[in-house]
Amino acid sequence: MKQKTYRLFFGVSAVILVLLYLMSSTNLIIREKKTEIYPISVIVEDSSDEDYEKLRKGMDRAAQELHVDLNFITLYQPNDQEQQLGLIAREISDGAKAVILSPANPVEAMAGLDRMVLNSPLVILGTIFPHVQAAAGISIDYMEAGKLLGEAVRKNHKNMPVYLFTKGLEYGYARDLYDGIYQAFMDVDVPISLIVTQSDSDSVVLMEDAISRYSQNGVIIALDENSLEEAAGMLEEISMNGVRIPKLYGIGGTNRILNYLDKGIIQGLVVHNWFDEGYLSVEKAVEAIQGGGNLKEQTNMEVYYITKEDLRNPVYEKMLYPIY
Amino acid sequence: MKKSMWLLWSACLAGVAAVWIWTGRSVGETEEKEKHAIRLGILLYQGDDTFIGNVRQALEEQAKRYEQETGIKVVLNIEDAKENQNTQNSQAERMFSLGYDALCVNLVDRSMASVMIDKAIGADVPIVFFNREPVEEDLNLWEKLYYVGTSPKESAMLQGEIVVKAYQADPLSIDYNGDGKVNYVLLEGETSHQDSLIRTEWSIQTLMDGGVPLEKLTGGIANWERSQASAMMEQWLEEFPGQIELVISNNDDMALGAIDAIQRLQVTDPINIVGIDGTPQGIAALERGNLLGTVQCDRTEYADAIITIAAALALGEDPKEKIELEDKIYYWAGQKAMFRN
Repeated sequence: MKQKTYRLFFGVSAVILVLLYLMSSTNLIIREKKTEIYPISVIVEDSSDEDYEKLRKGMDRAAQELHVDLNFITLYQPNDQEQQLGLIAREISDGAKAVILSPANPVEAMAGLDRMVLNSPLVILGTIFPHVQAAAGISIDYMEAGKLLGEAVRKNHKNMPVYLFTKGLEYGYARDLYDGIYQAFMDVDVPISLIVTQSDSDSVVLMEDAISRYSQNGVIIALDENSLEEAAGMLEEISMNGVRIPKLYGIGGTNRILNYLDKGIIQGLVVHNWFDEGYLSVEKAVEAIQGGGNLKEQTNMEVYYITKEDLRNPVYEKMLYPIY
Repeated sequence: MKKSMWLLWSACLAGVAAVWIWTGRSVGETEEKEKHAIRLGILLYQGDDTFIGNVRQALEEQAKRYEQETGIKVVLNIEDAKENQNTQNSQAERMFSLGYDALCVNLVDRSMASVMIDKAIGADVPIVFFNREPVEEDLNLWEKLYYVGTSPKESAMLQGEIVVKAYQADPLSIDYNGDGKVNYVLLEGETSHQDSLIRTEWSIQTLMDGGVPLEKLTGGIANWERSQASAMMEQWLEEFPGQIELVISNNDDMALGAIDAIQRLQVTDPINIVGIDGTPQGIAALERGNLLGTVQCDRTEYADAIITIAAALALGEDPKEKIELEDKIYYWAGQKAMFRN
């Protein structure tokens, strides 16, 4: 009888142990603390995310710290505002808890978003739209950036004609930059010409033509990163043949642009802290998700004018070449 | 007592079965869902590398083409390891934990693939390697590993033929000092890269087979980089003034570095330079007449193969039904020789 009781005891114990093992290994008893991961989509205005390197570094850092699963979405055609709006709807219906948008054409984006009902918070990389239900905006003061560029050109090249290169004033924040530059030259009689290079094939011809005509006596200011890179590339090629090249200024901070500044092809640049901008955008998106999406907060990033010498300044070095 | 024992046993077995069924159910449910979106991670060894930069661009284009053709959303996340294998392993781990459907990996160190493969097996995430071929034993570790690249032997032979044809058409166009031998310098890629050794070996072999009388002046490893090649070439031009007739480069970037040095030192000797890859920058140099020739890899085909295989794996399909593979796991993209006009 005693032996039978022992057998029964060990038998039951063995079965319970197996059962406990199975239950614990399947999360039934000891539940692992589940960290909520927020899927956030970032919709940029380009067909490639290559130029967003620094912004992305900040976003990636925030994504790791704040448990975010980040998806970078690019367009079929650069600056296609209609597709961007379609992608916002698609990403939200595919489960994005928030969307970060770099609008291709802010005016069209505002009109389009006004007609949309968004079920997830929207963070805009730029100025927040007054009537659009956006959670936050992270922007730089492009007017101030334009003013800084204009003042630098005015100081360094007195009375030289200025040629502004842009893929179109309606794209990105070229209009604000343009206004800022105009302000800087308001009280002096300096001719300012606008050269719009909308399509790729046109841009090369137009730029080459402009560069050859103004090489002896002119200053070029590029109002967007693409125009600046293209112009700098052309100037570099021309300079190899020993031809005098016009002075070039612009806005942007891709590694290619910084290399051109270092080589002396670009004389001056307006930059801001892209890493912080990226980090903040994800942080605001997470805050909006957690807080129900009603922040409506605008953050303005500071802008800086830099020259070749500033590239070795530790303050700018950290900002322009973030290590992460 | 016997009856109660049976009852107890039955209850326990029923409990065990219930637990198994309960845990199995959720797995089955997710597998049944039809996918309308896939997430692919693209890991690059070094984003600044010109060839890789062009492949990256082609990958983005092909992913969009696939999305438009099939209606299946493709989310690409591209990461740059900046030549650090540990960084790349961390990037891969993060993608595994975020449930990516497949990874396309351009390894930093081709001999270190097993670490990533082990983790991929654990996470059941297939990998399509490209450009840097893992060693064969690693590729055979799992059936969900593939490789897309260009045949280095073919590239080298095409490169050699460019010079052979030019020499046969007019020996003095290559042997410009007419001494009956072609003095050449060699710019090589990383020693650890499989393509580097094979490209060098077969390029020289093709030249010798084609009857070009070669004499090597010197050579060096410039790690595929324009700046390193430029510095090396500058040194050689000073060391062998008026002697270098041919520069054989393992890729276009290094060939462009050699051109930079020639222009910087304002050397007027008609030095011929040949490259491989057919990058836009290389082709521009060809059009300007600075390069004798290059071997162009069909980037669209290259990227298309990567996306097709990765998408098939992500959707649980057999890539062999979508694309023709060699030895079931290899895809070799086409190449063609391009000559100066």
